[in-house]
Amino acid sequence: MSRAKLKGLGIDLPTFPTSTVGSFPKPDYLVEARAKFAKAKIERKELEELERRATAFWIKTQEEIGLDVLVDGEMYRGDMVAYFSELMPGFEQSGLVRSYGNRYYHKPIIVGEVQWPGPMTIGWWRYAQGLTKRPVKGMLTGPYTVMDWSFNEYYPDRRSACLALARAIRREVEVLVEAGAKIIQIDEPALSVRPEELPFAIEAMHLVTDGLPAYFIIHACYGAFDAIYSQMLKLPVDNLDLAISHSTLNLMEMFRRDPFTKDLSLGVLDVHSHEVEAPETVRARIEKGLKLLPKELIWIDPDCGLKTRTVEEARGKLVNMLAAVKVLRAESGVN
Amino acid sequence: MELLLANHGSYPRIGDSPGQQRLRRAYAQHERGEITSKEFDAIQTSMIQEIVQEQAEAGLDLVTDGQIRWYDPISHFAGRLDGIKINGLLRFFDTNFYIRQPVVADQVLWKGPVLVEEYRSAQAVSPKPVKVVVTGPYTLARFSILESSRYRDLPEIVAAYTDALTKEVEALAAAGATLIQIDEPSILQHPGDAGLVKAALSRIASRKGRARLLLATYFGDAAPLYESLQAFPVDALGFDFTYSRDLADLIARRGSDKAIAFGLIDGRNTRMDRTEEILLILQRALPKVKGSPSYLTSSCGLEYLPRDKAQLKLKRMAAVRAELAGRG
Repeated sequence: MSRAKLKGLGIDLPTFPTSTVGSFPKPDYLVEARAKFAKAKIERKELEELERRATAFWIKTQEEIGLDVLVDGEMYRGDMVAYFSELMPGFEQSGLVRSYGNRYYHKPIIVGEVQWPGPMTIGWWRYAQGLTKRPVKGMLTGPYTVMDWSFNEYYPDRRSACLALARAIRREVEVLVEAGAKIIQIDEPALSVRPEELPFAIEAMHLVTDGLPAYFIIHACYGAFDAIYSQMLKLPVDNLDLAISHSTLNLMEMFRRDPFTKDLSLGVLDVHSHEVEAPETVRARIEKGLKLLPKELIWIDPDCGLKTRTVEEARGKLVNMLAAVKVLRAESGVN
Repeated sequence: MELLLANHGSYPRIGDSPGQQRLRRAYAQHERGEITSKEFDAIQTSMIQEIVQEQAEAGLDLVTDGQIRWYDPISHFAGRLDGIKINGLLRFFDTNFYIRQPVVADQVLWKGPVLVEEYRSAQAVSPKPVKVVVTGPYTLARFSILESSRYRDLPEIVAAYTDALTKEVEALAAAGATLIQIDEPSILQHPGDAGLVKAALSRIASRKGRARLLLATYFGDAAPLYESLQAFPVDALGFDFTYSRDLADLIARRGSDKAIAFGLIDGRNTRMDRTEEILLILQRALPKVKGSPSYLTSSCGLEYLPRDKAQLKLKRMAAVRAELAGRG
């Protein structure tokens, strides 16, 4: 069903479309430049030039590896929520809050009406898409996660904050679609933290995606899927991206109870491990997925963004992922 | 009806001013081996003194050491027991805070007091009584990975942690602790295990001496468990009011046989709590509470907030009580 939608959008993908979740490791020169920029030792223009260089590197690398649906690699983002909250009116930064050990961060505070400030990601999407003929995904953080990872001093409750964010994020989706993005991924890693709030998270996703001509993927990272799985099927998106590489969930049992109705991106690489998984390991993980769903519904990707790995680890993992996919495509008689 | 102002437990260990960041710098220096453990400890002690003072100045009757020496609420106690190894990071409930997960690798044994020295050193620098906070056996067990074949299931791990905590509570009471808070947030996620927690607390309570025991629940709605909790062997029950629509009405209607720690100040959001809303709840509920003293506190530890906001929240607590007293 979703494959027909993709064809309608002018995108023809092979069996087992391959992609990544969004972030790639920043090359050393960019890490250094970001530190210098934070200390006001270089100008924004200089930083942006290096961000463009790193983006071009990753587009080329993804093409060489053979991925089907590319990402810009988020070379210009630090944190997936802070990037947006720093651009959107209505937010301030809090004082430092501890995350673990000796790690602290500035958590955004919603202090006024959140607004769309004008395009936040279009420039980077256009730049990345201009470097390749393969489709590049539009990448946004979803309203529920932005709400959950912020303090809220303005809206009366979490639901109203989430819905207000959804209305602002929809504007960004609209301009991505206008700019030509056909595949848009919404990241919602916080989605499973409070199962009782899933109904308004779904309501928010309707505000973000309804009526817009794009193929939508939701990336939900790790979490209590068993508690929320059946409700997640109500999310108005075409593709659910689930981390299964080291999942102990009995997906088979869950799918038997409530048949899966969307495309499924199988997160088959463990991004939190330094180990470059062998093609056979990846293949076994994909085959686990093939027992659950017909091959037409399955996409293949890592289980989260690769930004915490080294450039070589990220590349090595993806090369082996593609090797496994190539064998499976050959075996199922498609190329 | 006496209502004391109490800090819940954790407190932000750094602030945004350079002086308030000395612990963060010292932590990094200690990790790099640039300062000794003794020097690091002295900086921790000075930060505890500073935050104990901050709580007293805000007008609190009961302070905590802010758990400044703790890596997190799970691994601090569990990691000091024989038989436990400490593993990687795991998200702590629905917060953006991560704990290190204990692995039950062998027989769990209490080697000696973990918190007694912490209690003594905080009390030595505090103008107010120090409340001791420990994470309860059920929550410790829920966050643990079972590797050892000595234990078969969750109840057996709970029993092992209960043995250790019973000895710890006995040592704390002997050291003079007058109020010991046992945190069991996990029970709200698994209400079916209330009997397990009750049995564990019975054992702990048998060694509490003259100390009062306060069972703290948070990060969930306690209303469905409220009736069963009334029969628990503790002196006071602590609730997080930010997750529950019904709790305030329930207490006002049913009353309480035990003192209550009213977690009415939101420990998870920087928005300042409205005095009027809190007063309304206290005025309805307090007359129906039989145990005394009760406590006004935050919904959970204050470490989820930046330091400046945590301090304002403590002051708001004091303002609420002053207003309550003014209205008679």
